[in-house]
Amino acid sequence: MLTLALVQHFIVSRLLIFHASPDIMAIFIAFVSMSIGQRTGTTFGFAAGLIGGLLTGNVGLSALIGTVEGFSAGFFHVPEESHATSVKKRRMFYAASTVALILGNMLLATLHNPLSLPAYVRLPQMVGLGTIMSMVLGTLMYNFVLKKLLKD
Amino acid sequence: MLSLFRFIAKHTAYLYFLLYCGISILLMQLQRKETLDAIRERGLAINASVATQLSNFTGILNLRQDNEQLLLQNARLFSQVMRQQAELRDAKETQAAVANAPAWARQFKIARVVDRRFSATDNMLVIDSGASQGITKDMTVLTPDGLVGRVMEVSQNYAKVLPVINNDFMVSVVSDSSRTLGLLSWQNGDERIAHMEHVPVSSNLKVGEQVTTSDFSTFAIRGIPVGRVVRISKDKLFCNIDIRLAVDFASLSYVLISPAKPSREKIEIMGADPGRKGQ
Repeated sequence: MLTLALVQHFIVSRLLIFHASPDIMAIFIAFVSMSIGQRTGTTFGFAAGLIGGLLTGNVGLSALIGTVEGFSAGFFHVPEESHATSVKKRRMFYAASTVALILGNMLLATLHNPLSLPAYVRLPQMVGLGTIMSMVLGTLMYNFVLKKLLKD
Repeated sequence: MLSLFRFIAKHTAYLYFLLYCGISILLMQLQRKETLDAIRERGLAINASVATQLSNFTGILNLRQDNEQLLLQNARLFSQVMRQQAELRDAKETQAAVANAPAWARQFKIARVVDRRFSATDNMLVIDSGASQGITKDMTVLTPDGLVGRVMEVSQNYAKVLPVINNDFMVSVVSDSSRTLGLLSWQNGDERIAHMEHVPVSSNLKVGEQVTTSDFSTFAIRGIPVGRVVRISKDKLFCNIDIRLAVDFASLSYVLISPAKPSREKIEIMGADPGRKGQ
């Protein structure tokens, strides 16, 4: 979790396009929540948000976003005993990640606007562009790393 | 109740979610500077309020001690005020004595009457100038109003003055209009009235004439006012003359000491003893 937070803060968050950057923490929170469960995902999101917030300086906001991401992704939980196929799992991962990213970015755009950009600029930037960029990165992460962690 | 527990156990994720959201919002609020400032201000207000209450309580306990300290301080301030008032009064009187003195009297030394002995026969004054201030025996003591007496004894910082209103005091005087000479002395009685002796019945002295010290005095220079003639009654050979003294000894607080003296050569050639009674 700490490694992910460091990578996010020092590397990924610098990939800025129109003030929006990918969020691998959200991807990972969604993955944990989807694979393990909503309760664990919520706790994991809260903890990850706290650590990320310590690095950025917005502890409360990061924790809130992490909690919301973990909780919302938990609705797409795939239990182990369900014997779901990898396709279903992939689908659920994408859904969980998308929902978590949209909600997380909406919260971030609403509650944290350091440049005082108007809402019609800030929301599309964060929710649209940020989610797309994160999903691209999430797809890569899933195919190369996360997929191997899931049992068929 | 059991169903409630089942519901809670089933929806723990929601509880976690609410709990974490609450903590996160609390952290967000704490991070805001205004919130911290408000908490700090509130804390300061509570702290000040508690401190005030404690201070009031200890103030009541220490009331007796505070009162005693205040009384002491009051006494100190009162003594300071008294001293400053006395100094101010002295300064004013000194200024008044100097201002009222004639031009020839400006070179005189100023002294304060620090003690006086009253009796029917032996009045005596003590002034706060002595040998250190250049005072010597037989100097003339006066005020701008007139003659006070002569210096009899001198210590380092004080001098004893034999006033006009002493049985042992005599001075040679002369009237200003008729130039009648006489010897002024004081007997027991009214301290404002002295007597002029050795004035023959043939003299032209009139009531109201001013008398001053004459050239015949062995300690006083001539011309110092002594008093004014208020009553003349004729005897067989001499007149009985009452002189109202120019100086009010009852309110005497500052005096001048004249450094000028009659010529010693004149006194020697007359064979007079400067220390003898009278003159």
